Amino acid sequence: MVKTIAKERVDEITKQTAEPAWLKESRLKAFESYLKIPTPCNRDENWRRTEVDALDLSTLNVVVSDSKEKSAAKEPAVVTEALSHLGKNLPYIYTTPQSVEIGNADSALLSKGVIFCSLKTALAQHADLLSKYLAPENLPTPDFAQNDKFYLMNQSLFNCGAFLYVPKNVILESPVLNVLSSGVETSIALFPRVIIIVEQGAKAEFVNICTADKTKAADASESLSLVNSSIETYVGANGNLSYLDVSDFSSNTFAVSRVYNEVRKDGSLHASTVALGGWQIKSDIQTNLKEPGSKSDIRGVVLGSGSERYSFNTIQDHISPDTTSTINFRVALKESSSSAYLGTIRVSKEAQRTDSYQSNKNLLLGSNAHADSIPKLEILADDVKCAHGATVGPADKEQIFYLMSRGLSLLEAEELIVTGFFRQVVQSCPVDGAGDWINALVADKIHS
Amino acid sequence: MAAQEPLLKIEDLWVSVEGKDILKGVNLTINPGEVHAIMGRNGSGKSTLSYTLMGHPRYSINRGSILFKGEEIGDLPPDERAKKGLALAFQYPVAIPGVSVSNFLRASVKAVRGKEIPVKEFRQELKAQMALLEVKDEFLSRYINDGFSGGEKKRLEILQMTLLKPALAVLDETDSGLDIDALKVVSSGINTLATKETAVLLITHYQRILNYVKPDFVHVFQSGQIVKTGGSELSEELEERGYDWVTQELTPSGVA
Ligand SMILES: Nc1ncnc2c1ncn2[C@@H]1O[C@H](COP(=O)(O)OP(=O)(O)OP(=O)(O)O)[C@@H](O)[C@H]1O
Ligand SMILES: [Mg+2]
Repeated sequence: MVKTIAKERVDEITKQTAEPAWLKESRLKAFESYLKIPTPCNRDENWRRTEVDALDLSTLNVVVSDSKEKSAAKEPAVVTEALSHLGKNLPYIYTTPQSVEIGNADSALLSKGVIFCSLKTALAQHADLLSKYLAPENLPTPDFAQNDKFYLMNQSLFNCGAFLYVPKNVILESPVLNVLSSGVETSIALFPRVIIIVEQGAKAEFVNICTADKTKAADASESLSLVNSSIETYVGANGNLSYLDVSDFSSNTFAVSRVYNEVRKDGSLHASTVALGGWQIKSDIQTNLKEPGSKSDIRGVVLGSGSERYSFNTIQDHISPDTTSTINFRVALKESSSSAYLGTIRVSKEAQRTDSYQSNKNLLLGSNAHADSIPKLEILADDVKCAHGATVGPADKEQIFYLMSRGLSLLEAEELIVTGFFRQVVQSCPVDGAGDWINALVADKIHS
Repeated sequence: MAAQEPLLKIEDLWVSVEGKDILKGVNLTINPGEVHAIMGRNGSGKSTLSYTLMGHPRYSINRGSILFKGEEIGDLPPDERAKKGLALAFQYPVAIPGVSVSNFLRASVKAVRGKEIPVKEFRQELKAQMALLEVKDEFLSRYINDGFSGGEKKRLEILQMTLLKPALAVLDETDSGLDIDALKVVSSGINTLATKETAVLLITHYQRILNYVKPDFVHVFQSGQIVKTGGSELSEELEERGYDWVTQELTPSGVA
């Protein structure tokens, strides 16, 4: 199915918002490419184990909220929960299909020229700054810009999101939060876009949360919603960004996200992504190590249950010499959930002395759970350190016996093993308190 | 008053692993509070017996029975056996990366005792036992057996036994791989464990542990059976004369 999104949607967006001319141009260009590109299907390598056919775009209601952002009246529960681990009174943006709220905007974090606001506000107030990243001639060219229908869909239709700008040498010691809740709506399409810019010598922490009001979760097959996000991060020379993404969508959400990270000379990026729910989550993460000495450390935690499907593609693109990247992706699957991981390490001819590491471990808990893991190496330089490894299998029987011999039930033993499996990758997450928070989220989902 | 019921009564137990018979008719009775030692050659089936008692799914019981507190436990999963008061200190404890010792100990004690223990109370109890076994605090935040030395693993096993206070503790070579000081510490741990409430089945290769922990009975294990039973003097004799002596005694012609 996947029918197409009508051109009027793009026109609506460009009309409703007072956007700069270059952005309209950019949207229309993306839409033209979007129309030309064939719809993906699960025979495509990148779309293995997804059920993209089930999506009928023509029935989706594209949310175009033109409401102005306002100060939050009351802290949403999801924010309170996150802040109880990450630190009180951190600035946050809370977006729903109906409204955009800003909380703790008076935080001392948002001084010294730091900008943290909704993307809409940023486009109205800081258009020149944004044009350096969003104008057609300045757009990045990750793999998915060439041929990915969903990425182009977002580029033409994005209608909410957040912007963080940290000027040169400014250090943010605590994270800012961007929360998107798709609420209780069904049959909607949301196109968030998040832009994070950490200038030379600056440091920032950013927490991105996608959630839904699950109290009235709808039946997946009947009223699918689409959340199609684009996240772009730019880390300047000697800059440092810690990014944490937590996705816990409702069971009727088809969530597609495209993450593009760019790291400059001696800069470093740490990004953790935690996927805990949704009908299907399809995520591509490309990290371009653009200049010598740049580093990236990407971690993934995926806990599937029911018939959820996860598909992650990561690309570690070593463009310059002396660059370092590590990826640790851990997936645990209950019941008949499934996951496909495709990990590409790319080393250009110039990128000598690259040090690259990729690990993907899959724990199959359900007897009908399934995981694929495919490493892909495209190495053109000759002086390279590159290691990769993948495992797929059930929980270790001797570990289970050990725990059960000490009184734990099979279920309790498995839970402990799964939390341990994830703890190894989240414990050292540089965002303070994130490790414990993720452990708690994982424990919640295992118990549910 | 009725005669005291045995704590454990194993009768004609036949067990196989992957189709291969390992235990071939084990008989053993342990009364509450008794200390039994099992000695025997490598590969004679001692660990197989301990795994079978605890309910490892790999071992299938083909004949015979295991009565614990008068009840057949052969079909029970390991956690239910643990809750009935059976515990096993492993010869080769596995590492569980990512799971901290303190989290695990709390979960385990809670499960076996069947109730939540107040954090403070548990801490106190734990600290006391740790002091006794000279286990350093830092072990609590480490992952279970992950990167532990052989001796450290054995200490942690004994620590768990003393916390769980089972009716029967099966200690599978808990004295192997220990240095002289550690042997003293672990032995005194076993001594505090062996009370009227806790019977001990001590699988060992060495007589020296029996200098610390006096067994009421010593059994010789051979080819999947208990072939000889005696008092603590038997272990000394074994140490002196080796297992061949038992074999010869059993087959007077000297031909097995
Ligand atoms: N999973 C298995 N597959 C095949 N054979 C096995 C398996 N487990 C045990 N055995 C065999 O059963 C026999 C008894 O082993 P067991 O571990 O019980 O000996 P043990 O008396 O504890 O020896 P040790 O003193 O060396 O610890 C050995 O021959 C061993 O190889
Ligand atoms: Mg053994």
